[in-house]
Amino acid sequence: MEEPMSHIHLPDGVLPVWLWASGFIIAILIGFILFRFAKKEVLAKKLPLLGMMAAVMVLGASVEIVPIAYHVNLMVISGILLGPSLIFLATFVVNVILALFGHGGITVIGLNTLTLSIEGILGYLFFRLFWKISKRLTPAAFAATFLALCLSTFSMIGVVGLGVSHYEELIHKDGGHGIFEFKLLKEESDPHEEGKERGEANFRRFIAIVLPLGFLGWILEGIITTLILRYIHRLRPDLLRREIKAS
Amino acid sequence: MIQLSYLDYLAVEGKSFLHRLSAGWKIVGMLVVLSGIVILRNLFGLSLLYGILLGLFFACRLPLRIFSLTLYPLVFAILFIFISGFQIHFILLVFLKVLSGSTGVVLLLGTTPYPSIFVALDKLLPSIFVTALFLTYRSIFILLKVLEETQHALYLRGGLQWNHPWRSLNNISNAFGHLIIRGIDASEKMYESMMLRGFKNKIHYKGE
Repeated sequence: MEEPMSHIHLPDGVLPVWLWASGFIIAILIGFILFRFAKKEVLAKKLPLLGMMAAVMVLGASVEIVPIAYHVNLMVISGILLGPSLIFLATFVVNVILALFGHGGITVIGLNTLTLSIEGILGYLFFRLFWKISKRLTPAAFAATFLALCLSTFSMIGVVGLGVSHYEELIHKDGGHGIFEFKLLKEESDPHEEGKERGEANFRRFIAIVLPLGFLGWILEGIITTLILRYIHRLRPDLLRREIKAS
Repeated sequence: MIQLSYLDYLAVEGKSFLHRLSAGWKIVGMLVVLSGIVILRNLFGLSLLYGILLGLFFACRLPLRIFSLTLYPLVFAILFIFISGFQIHFILLVFLKVLSGSTGVVLLLGTTPYPSIFVALDKLLPSIFVTALFLTYRSIFILLKVLEETQHALYLRGGLQWNHPWRSLNNISNAFGHLIIRGIDASEKMYESMMLRGFKNKIHYKGE
């Protein structure tokens, strides 16, 4: 299963250039705006914390929970502890380091940063909202993580979906002859129509694989994040209150 | 990630021609490899690129233990081949792109000490970003030590077991909670010591 499926584990060179280049441009623009309006002293003070939380995320992604072959990404918990603007930079750093270890290509760092930041930022916002409404940590943490991961997975699917015509181009470069031929129902058909249908069906197959795996990931990550937050709340409640007060 | 310190050791202790080459040139080389991965769409070109990288890997006498790192990203590429409808050409194309990228990256990390990479990146990227990268890199080593200690405590509490999923989840969550709290404490101490040494939003590397 590996991850909650919100991280694009795509290799370099598979996504169309315009797509990953746009990801980089948007991520750099957001980063530039955040730095422009951030207080330099606050940023400098928080840099060691940012580095530490980024390291926690990197370690989370590399420590596999053996019985269930799953690794956490701890993006929501980092978002809650760092706040929305710092989580963006932390995500960028995490993606650069993960790319250096093969968790996603280098060219998709921008897109990964955007989709994972959505997870961290939404997780932070949902957690604040739900905790304020319910006054209970456990349901607030679980619901915030579940929803944030769900939305970021859909954004990842959207990103992959944007490149469908490019994948078809790569696939049909070989003449479209695959290992398996799916022609049980049609005797003769228009090759153009057939290609179109197959393209659609393949992306649906991708979604059909990603969503059930993602659903299990959302639940697991939700449980783990909730348990971690409960542990932190028990030992250092100030860490959770600090961000709430700061906002 | 546990192999990070071993990679660092190899990068510092290695004596091959790639180890002696400057970090800047190796980053340029990595960019050329990336351009090849993005541009090339035929199996011959990608096989040639992968062959060259493999040749360099063995010429640098990097241990086979590290070679397994280059195969790891294939796990993630498998999901993507479902899009193709199992087209053999597409699968080979994706696998060669993945392997070329990961071999290039492992070559870079296995032959270049991290501080040299950060010095080179500092000339291209905003210093605040490079500082964050450097602090993350340093924090990984601090946390790895904490994780090692935590693992012993985890085993004593039953560790991770199939037949006790709830207890396993509880144990792993407590371990990460402990890691986060220790990490935050360490980051506060790190900030104080950096300030005492005159830190002003930028880390100056030796020789700068």
